Amino acid sequence: MKNIGIKLAAVAFLALAPSVALAGKGGSAAQIKAAVASTSTDAIIAELERTESLICDECVQIVTGLTEDSRYEVREVAAWWFARRPALKDMLAAQFSDDLATGGTLKVRNAADFLGGTKTYAALPQLRAAIHRGDLGSDAKLALVRAAGAIAHVRGNEVLSTAMADGDARVRGAAVTAWRDVLDQPSAQPIVALLADPDADVRARAATVVGGMTEQSARPALEAIVLHDPDSFARRNAAWALGQLGNAASRPALVQASADKSTLVRGAAKAALSSLR
Amino acid sequence: MKNSMKSIAIGAAVMTLGTVGAGCGNGGPSDDEGPLGGVESLIILQRPKRNDGGDIFQYTSYKPGARLVRLSPPTADGKLTTICCDQGGSEFSTIDISSYDISFDAKSIVFAGKLADNQRYGLFLLQLSDGAITPIMTDPGRDAVSPIFLPGNRVMFTSNAVVEAGAPQHVDEYERGTTIQLGTVNLDGSDLQMGPRNLSHRTFPTLASDGRVVFTQWDHLGPENSGHLMRVTPDMQDLREFFGKEGSSPSNSTLKAREISPGRFIAIATARSRTITSGTLIDIRAGIVETHGGVVSAPQNQSEANATYHILTPDVPMDGAPSADTVGRYYDAFPLNAKDKPDLLVSWANGPVESGELAAAGLSANFGVYLYDSEHQQRRPILDDPEMWDIFAQPLRTRTAPVVISSAQDPKLGGQTLIGSLNVYDSSLHTFKDGEIYGVRVMEGFSSEEGFPREFGTTLFEGHANLGVAPIAADKSWSAKVPANVPLHLQAVDVFGMSLFNEPVWFSGRAGEARMCGGCHEDRTRTTNVTPGQLDTFALGAAPLFGTVARSARLNKTPATATDIVGVGWDTQIQPMLTAKCVECHGADNKAGIAPYTITDMATGTVTSWTFNLTGDPLPAALAVAAGDGAYSSSYFSLAGPDMEAIAKAKLLIAGNFKVYMKPEDARSSPAITKLNPTRLFPSPSTDRAFATMPHLIEQGRADLTSKEFYALILSCDMGVNYFARENKPAATAP
Repeated sequence: MKNIGIKLAAVAFLALAPSVALAGKGGSAAQIKAAVASTSTDAIIAELERTESLICDECVQIVTGLTEDSRYEVREVAAWWFARRPALKDMLAAQFSDDLATGGTLKVRNAADFLGGTKTYAALPQLRAAIHRGDLGSDAKLALVRAAGAIAHVRGNEVLSTAMADGDARVRGAAVTAWRDVLDQPSAQPIVALLADPDADVRARAATVVGGMTEQSARPALEAIVLHDPDSFARRNAAWALGQLGNAASRPALVQASADKSTLVRGAAKAALSSLR
Repeated sequence: MKNSMKSIAIGAAVMTLGTVGAGCGNGGPSDDEGPLGGVESLIILQRPKRNDGGDIFQYTSYKPGARLVRLSPPTADGKLTTICCDQGGSEFSTIDISSYDISFDAKSIVFAGKLADNQRYGLFLLQLSDGAITPIMTDPGRDAVSPIFLPGNRVMFTSNAVVEAGAPQHVDEYERGTTIQLGTVNLDGSDLQMGPRNLSHRTFPTLASDGRVVFTQWDHLGPENSGHLMRVTPDMQDLREFFGKEGSSPSNSTLKAREISPGRFIAIATARSRTITSGTLIDIRAGIVETHGGVVSAPQNQSEANATYHILTPDVPMDGAPSADTVGRYYDAFPLNAKDKPDLLVSWANGPVESGELAAAGLSANFGVYLYDSEHQQRRPILDDPEMWDIFAQPLRTRTAPVVISSAQDPKLGGQTLIGSLNVYDSSLHTFKDGEIYGVRVMEGFSSEEGFPREFGTTLFEGHANLGVAPIAADKSWSAKVPANVPLHLQAVDVFGMSLFNEPVWFSGRAGEARMCGGCHEDRTRTTNVTPGQLDTFALGAAPLFGTVARSARLNKTPATATDIVGVGWDTQIQPMLTAKCVECHGADNKAGIAPYTITDMATGTVTSWTFNLTGDPLPAALAVAAGDGAYSSSYFSLAGPDMEAIAKAKLLIAGNFKVYMKPEDARSSPAITKLNPTRLFPSPSTDRAFATMPHLIEQGRADLTSKEFYALILSCDMGVNYFARENKPAATAP
């Protein structure tokens, strides 16, 4: 558990009874403890949401422990809880940022999920450095990608582009999806190469991103997917993407795809045909 | 688990169903048939039971194994047939389905389904004649849920896709979820259009017989934090309040509305979180109630002000409290007739139906389908699979499609939205003094998705950008051309630029939409008529308020004059002024000798003291918690005060010389503003003062604030006393 190392201010709350006006508020350290003891992810999430605004010394200690829980959903809601308390968040973020450089896979995973969940922009250099470490497992790299996606800043692009070359398809796929939602992302050009990824899910995700960002240079690869890819989700997404690009030159491919064996592809191709200029 | 029905000991159910409606007039089928008389079968959605959908805006929950079933006849011993989606093959083998709607001719069903864990929810059309399933293509990287049929072969749905290309979708006020907004698409997947954006969620649309759509909108603006019913045309324009705002609802949230008869709706009343989107049943009458032949409706003068409601299940909690045994909670309801006390098809679960309590016990709510006789408050079981949520039951039968209605879009607006009102003094919420309004300030809202941490300050307000003030004309009207599709917030302001009255909600309009109101929240029982000629006049005279300026450019880091100010960054725009003109007396050494206040921990007796300090120094760690744990400056804490929500609820134990010097949305009564006594700003700056008191800086023999500095402080107050604005967003300086 992290040593937060601060003496919390002396602020007392009377019991916060749930009320109509306080939907989502209330809760107590005892209720968080009970939820943790239940081992139920849903109960923990529910209790932390309920203590969104609760000022409670004991809660801080409990929730700090949850930032290193084995379940992503629990780590995520713990980070969210601290994000509502920026001063505490900053203290923890400094420690977690250090973990990115020296920690093992689990520590890096936990650190990245905290820093992403709290949208800690200051941690971007450490996130960029960590993705280049050769000693991290996929769990850590997935978390680094999640963090870059949550922060959604172009200075996290290096994390994503590096992850796109990872040996684990889950890491590549997550990086591809995160690319699209980076604020003011200038181009989907780096994604085009992923349309030829050996993993079908990565290809499907890449098709969605280049379509969503109307990356015109992706058209030939998308047409190849829509006609020849063995995976129906990849073909469907490629058909949708061609509709987004709207280039009339894609008509032959989409007409052919309109007779695809998969109803998903046929439906997407027919809709895409109506979008061509 | 397919079709693993639990045996229900309700042998008398068929006979019971036949007698429920006895003596109830013509509010439905004949007395002999009962409320389900003439109904050959029901369509029911069965989802594997779960416990991760506690939040009313949870739309991503996924568990494979959902199915659409037909129960025929619609009785407990009826035959249950799966109609979707086994026939779809392997692509549909792990589908989850979140909701559906039956077409007007009862020949097809539109549903929202998620095919696998790595997919998003999308829309599908099921033909009941042959079981064929076709996708209604939406963005495969976004979710599309809650589809309903619209007349004209279109479907309305909600989605986390964004109407503005390249823009990130808003996150909700809890900063945990991506918001969902309204969209429409043709049944063949063509012509997909996303509607203008609310700052939080819009969900559960339903079609009314007058052709308009009623849905739940979450409103969060300062103290407002609730979800109520709104109404739009099917082209997602002409947004109007429908039910529940301004304290007119019995609950925090009203959702899953369905029309009983014209102007009358059944809905779920509940709290936002932990309720698994279930609660009590309320019968809403939106207009003047009339009864003809046993049918109760409320079609005339529908408005929020005229709306009344009846609670049909009075024992069920409307807040987040766990429900009692045998009381349970209702997930949804479908009206079978329009009697004063209607018969309903409902989904109901026994027990607490509270996600935290259920989760802690390792349980899930078990929704089953029941026939509910609201007159006698009796439930009769129809279907309950213990492994599934049996929800959204409705008769498979034709219904009349309403006429296609739409509202105009003016190409002359060039992609902007025209807003305004005929007489800004006309308000049902506030009485203005004649002549006191100079104009209407229009502010844009945004959340942390634009590159902010998850809080904008201690006051729990979203990000604000001042788009400017539209002056009122001699006839008391005003109009402005503003950016389309973005959340907007209005304030009537005086000649000093201070808010006189604050509209407590966000609204938005589509590109080319003209949204002219009668007044400033005028009497909602009246109808406002604006002629096309008036619209043209308003458009010609409309104040240009960033209507054609890109989102990324709607800021000004170096405003030359007061009226150039867009956003107010605390450290970049407020602190330099404080440092230059205030800190000499109000620094850490407290030369001014202002008495401190204390915050006491009643449990430990620990007392922390704070003294007014307008420096940009970081807060002492001991006070970070009192500042909502904010990592803000001493000046921000001194002026904005501790966590406003905590103060508002009187939960903090504070003693001594305590004041909140800058009040959110209320510059006019903020002590910092009244003490400094701002000078007149509109229509042009002058030395006239807002208050009849000696301006503090003049009194102290110091240089006064400039009009730009005054307005920065005023805007900071009236836009929520945030620490962050686009002008100082942390992402802009990310390393």
